[in-house]
Amino acid sequence: MTAVDSPVLEPFAGRPVVTVLTDRCAGCQECIIRCPTGALTMDAARWVAAADSSMCVGCRQCVRTCPFSAITVDGPLQVAERVELEPRHPHVLRGDLSEIRPGFTTWREVLAEAERCLQCPDPTCAKGCPAHNDIPGFIGALRDGDAAGAQRILRRTTVLPDICSRVCDQSSQCEGACSWSLAGGVPVSIGRLERFVAETAPVAPPARHDGRRAAAAGMSIAIVGSGPAGIGAAWSLVEAGAEVTVFEKDATPGGLLGWGIPDFTLPAAVADRPWRQLQEAGVDLRCGVDVRPEDVEILLADHDAVILAHGATQPLRLPVPGNDLEGVTDATTFLHGARAALEQGGDPAAFLSRLGLADPAANAGRPVPRVLVLGAGNTAMDVARTARRLGLDALCVDWLDERFALVRPDELAESRHEGVEVRFSRTVTRLAGDGRVVRAELARTAQPRRDRLPKVLGGDPEVVDIDLVVMAMGYRGDPAFAPTLPGTPVRRTAAGLPDRRWTASGIMANAASAYAHHNPVGTLALGRETGLDAATLPVLDRVWVAGDALVGPSTVVEAMTQGRRAAESVIAGRPSRPGRPRQRVPRRVLVCYESQGGTTARAAEAIAASASAAGHRVRVLPIGRVGLAELAAADLIVVGTWVEGLVVAGVRPAKAMRAWLDGLPRLGGKAVAVFCTFAVAPKGALPAMRRTFEARGAVVVAQAAFGPRERRASGTFGPTAFGSELLQRAWPGERVAALVE
Amino acid sequence: MATKMEELASEPAWTPVKLRAPQRSGLEERFAATDPTLELSRHPLVARILKNRKFQFLLILPNQIVFWTVISIGLAGTVDPGLNFGTAITWYVWFCLVFVMMVVVGRAWCAMCPFGGFAEWVQRRALFRRTQKALGLGLKFPEPLARFGFVLPVASFLILTWIEEFFNIAGPGTPAYTSWMVVGIVSAALLFFLVFERRTFCRYVCPLTTLIGTVGSVGSVAGFRTRDRDVCLSCKTKDCMRGSEDGYGCPWYTWPGSADSNLYCGLCSECYKSCPEGNVGLFLQKPLTSVIAPRRRRIDVAWGIALLWGLVLYQQFNATSAFAPVDNWLNSTLHFPHYPDPVDYLGFIAIGASIVAAVSWAVGRGFASRAVGFVRTGHFLDRSSRFRAFFAPVAYGLIPVVGADYFARQLPKFLQSAPRVVPAIEHIFGFSSTKSSLYSFSLMTNGWIVVTQVAVVLLGTAAAAWATWKIAGRELVPVSRNAIGVRVATVTFALACGAAAAFLYVLMHAAD
Ligand code: SF4
Ligand code: SF4
Ligand code: SF4
Ligand code: SF4
Ligand code: SF4
Ligand code: SF4
Repeated sequence: MTAVDSPVLEPFAGRPVVTVLTDRCAGCQECIIRCPTGALTMDAARWVAAADSSMCVGCRQCVRTCPFSAITVDGPLQVAERVELEPRHPHVLRGDLSEIRPGFTTWREVLAEAERCLQCPDPTCAKGCPAHNDIPGFIGALRDGDAAGAQRILRRTTVLPDICSRVCDQSSQCEGACSWSLAGGVPVSIGRLERFVAETAPVAPPARHDGRRAAAAGMSIAIVGSGPAGIGAAWSLVEAGAEVTVFEKDATPGGLLGWGIPDFTLPAAVADRPWRQLQEAGVDLRCGVDVRPEDVEILLADHDAVILAHGATQPLRLPVPGNDLEGVTDATTFLHGARAALEQGGDPAAFLSRLGLADPAANAGRPVPRVLVLGAGNTAMDVARTARRLGLDALCVDWLDERFALVRPDELAESRHEGVEVRFSRTVTRLAGDGRVVRAELARTAQPRRDRLPKVLGGDPEVVDIDLVVMAMGYRGDPAFAPTLPGTPVRRTAAGLPDRRWTASGIMANAASAYAHHNPVGTLALGRETGLDAATLPVLDRVWVAGDALVGPSTVVEAMTQGRRAAESVIAGRPSRPGRPRQRVPRRVLVCYESQGGTTARAAEAIAASASAAGHRVRVLPIGRVGLAELAAADLIVVGTWVEGLVVAGVRPAKAMRAWLDGLPRLGGKAVAVFCTFAVAPKGALPAMRRTFEARGAVVVAQAAFGPRERRASGTFGPTAFGSELLQRAWPGERVAALVE
Repeated sequence: MATKMEELASEPAWTPVKLRAPQRSGLEERFAATDPTLELSRHPLVARILKNRKFQFLLILPNQIVFWTVISIGLAGTVDPGLNFGTAITWYVWFCLVFVMMVVVGRAWCAMCPFGGFAEWVQRRALFRRTQKALGLGLKFPEPLARFGFVLPVASFLILTWIEEFFNIAGPGTPAYTSWMVVGIVSAALLFFLVFERRTFCRYVCPLTTLIGTVGSVGSVAGFRTRDRDVCLSCKTKDCMRGSEDGYGCPWYTWPGSADSNLYCGLCSECYKSCPEGNVGLFLQKPLTSVIAPRRRRIDVAWGIALLWGLVLYQQFNATSAFAPVDNWLNSTLHFPHYPDPVDYLGFIAIGASIVAAVSWAVGRGFASRAVGFVRTGHFLDRSSRFRAFFAPVAYGLIPVVGADYFARQLPKFLQSAPRVVPAIEHIFGFSSTKSSLYSFSLMTNGWIVVTQVAVVLLGTAAAAWATWKIAGRELVPVSRNAIGVRVATVTFALACGAAAAFLYVLMHAAD
């Protein structure tokens, strides 16, 4: 990865020139508070921004940020060249499992790269990172030579920096979203800096907070799956003082980290580290236990909550004629077998003969068997490169256009360097052979745009001779869980207008640079955010889902973060198994409403006031401002609306409320209360709301309709009385003395 | 209750965000004098109306209906301009009413304008709903042009007025010409709305925008402003600029947090709808506040006023008997076939504007103290000089008299012919003709019209003199050697302008 077209022709050639368009500049200071270099200030007399071009480095954060397009920057990016490290190219690939990608080894390299970071006040890189690592923070610590400090900063958001820094696709995450990348240049080498931190100051084992004051003291949580999501969840829970039991169906823990990612990308010693530490910290790991959907009930009897993080490990199979021939296998089988075969003491020849292939080592002179890998994503590359290490030839085909490929760009380059043949814009239309597959027919495809699926073109198929086919188009969740986990997999597409804080940072303004393959980093990051939020909401009562099981295949860092979010939600929600005494603590009440004339809003305020007087933490919001995050952070959700319709024709919740209700996620076991305000009669409005919530797994604890009389009269049943009544119903017998925070 | 800051801090995505502190110093000095105090939207009914997404739609709708009627009747109806509904409503009533609205409210017309309104419906793909994706290219207006600010629309106003005089559209003349002019404006608007973002057309192109903006600044509607400027400064989202689920970002490139006059607020109420903090209100102010109070004097606005002053003087002059010989002589000398000759048209405007500039220059020359430094670099809007330091305040001070002059210019058509709208409407339905009694009924005799015109101009002159006195006291005295002298000189100039306009009205004998 060297030659890229970016506007950085020569570092430090010419100077950027900043122009504030004072006609339109409103003096809102959005640019000023985000300029990394302080090149912008206010002209107080005219109240417009003023620029000092001599201090500008050309990052264009101001341009991306200005709401009124009132500032422009011309000229080159003032940034030193990125410190690139060549990947290792083994002389003899066969049998070589040592790590390909080097990390920084000297402080000189680290400081040179760290100096490229602008320490952005509103760092887009941090939004691009699914874990929201404080990237300028840890890079700043590195600049001070403080690796331990950098580690402490990373530790706030990640427990897998050593792993993520190796396996993340940085170009679609942190580095793609780096200010330099958004400005069209070459991003800071965030991944490698993170890796240096993890190597210089290794991650400390979980710090267990025992004792009765620990946030999760007395809780017992079951986690299904020991992959990244399970690790993230277990780590947070064990630190909070919970008893954690993890069930893993394989013989060794780690999930995809163990068998899915080959050693040359993620050395075993690194991959094993989290579980060594978790087990030392007292996590009860039970390998070889396959938890089925029907077992969840049993787990719930003994545990306060269950976090399902069983992953998405069912390989996708391409539905083409001949896919059932002998010699057609999938990535899971291939990678599992290859790992064992290539390990110390493994037997590659036996593995190959199990696949029906001759060992090329023993058959010098004969043609080398050729593996056709379907797909050219990261899994496919892992398969192909592993095949090369077994001495085989590998050909990857993918129907996506190379410009929109899902593979890490450096991984693609390395694979090609290792002799893997990768063809994009092709798809297999037929596998042929007499009993065993020997031929594949490929058709061309066309994909003009990233957001469109490719189209298969006609014409004569291309025929290739092959000896083995590995389906590596990716994975999907276990279909057996689908009926148990309604609403999964959650789609990671953000609907509607992005949170304006995201827009303000500039991450949505444009795509990444050519160096980062023009990835639409803002959209991708916002989409991931829906997954993170979804992980905080229970799908069933006391059941959370995280990682690939929730959203389908995702990255390690994303799964880990979802696991952490689920764990935090469990800790904050304090569910309890049957028979365990509840704690007496203030609860979080969310009162949300749809109001037109203000009547419903006033009722909501009255309910909130009585809940607040009872010592609970209360928020009141119009439904337009209630998203997944707000729902997740509530123990009791009170929802109120005005009603519309004629008494004879049926009365319904207001239109905006109906639309909001339709978009609600699963609310497994959440306590919900519904109310409405009406002028003549509420009729079917409340039952309709009730049904919606119950269909999503929520428990409706109370309902009330307030007519003109109730709203006016004091003493009779009104919103205030309803407020205190519903608290009794939601948490019977629970009394909160005072806010103990 | 968790505060907003606590929430922000507890969200991991926001912890690495360490924004610089916004600059607050200078805020008080800059805005204190311009801040209105009387908030109309405190009234619950007003608040409800403004929150409603149909608010602006319902303002535009009647105008939209009239406007398409004007186009079609202008094309298909009678060729008698006095009896054609299109021309009658446009030139006898509408143009005059627009001025009344300007003087009282400011950009009220912009809130209901069918040109921008129609184009905006198309751009937003909606009549009133908040949609997320705009139709069209959404480009930014090119910077080299944008930096001339409100001078550009004056240019388009001058071109349009010349065309209007050439074809005698507003006379009114052939009704079809009025239709074609309206169609031309709406097509231009549509084009700009589809190529550029927001209301680029309204800020940089619309022929009326500078006139409405400047004349409107005598009005007592301050527009939509922030309730608490500190809340805006620390606001993390700026929904009023970027748009939220409930409202669009300001189409006029105005931030309530820094609005200091009603010059750029199109009164569309979007910021009122989109601000999540409820920190926007619709405010009233004392008349002339937006002329006197703003600390920032924009040179584009100043030139705009000077040019508009030139134009209205030209229009007055060409209604006097002295004009025709000049125009004819120029046409025959330059072989230009038709009234008005572009040379005397532009020449007059240039002279009118130059007088303002020259007087300002002379006042600066005579009174400026030597100790003041100026910025000589930067673009048109950003430079400063002694001339500009005097020219901008003097030009702003003329706003009331320029506004009054434009208004007085419309009075004859309204007072002589407004009743024709009734027979014009009847004519659509096939009865009524030029013989209808209302057709030739005037609201006033010509003598009284002149008296009214002169009274309007004198009222404007008094306002201009007062505004100039205040502005000079605030802005010119500190940079002058002689405090009384500079005030007297500038006020005298304002009075002289008013007297000249009044004198011309007497000469015009209520000609339109
Ligand atoms: S380009 Fe970057 S450094 Fe330059 S003014 Fe804009 S934000 Fe500041
Ligand atoms: S962000 Fe834009 S409008 Fe706001 S101060 Fe900066 S240049 Fe001006
Ligand atoms: S975890 Fe991954 S995305 Fe986040 S900073 Fe590290 S390398 Fe980048
Ligand atoms: S890594 Fe990039 S985006 Fe992040 S703080 Fe540094 S320069 Fe800014
Ligand atoms: S008006 Fe509202 S949205 Fe706009 S800056 Fe002020 S507080 Fe923020
Ligand atoms: S959004 Fe607000 S400031 Fe902008 S034009 Fe509309 S009413 Fe005026």
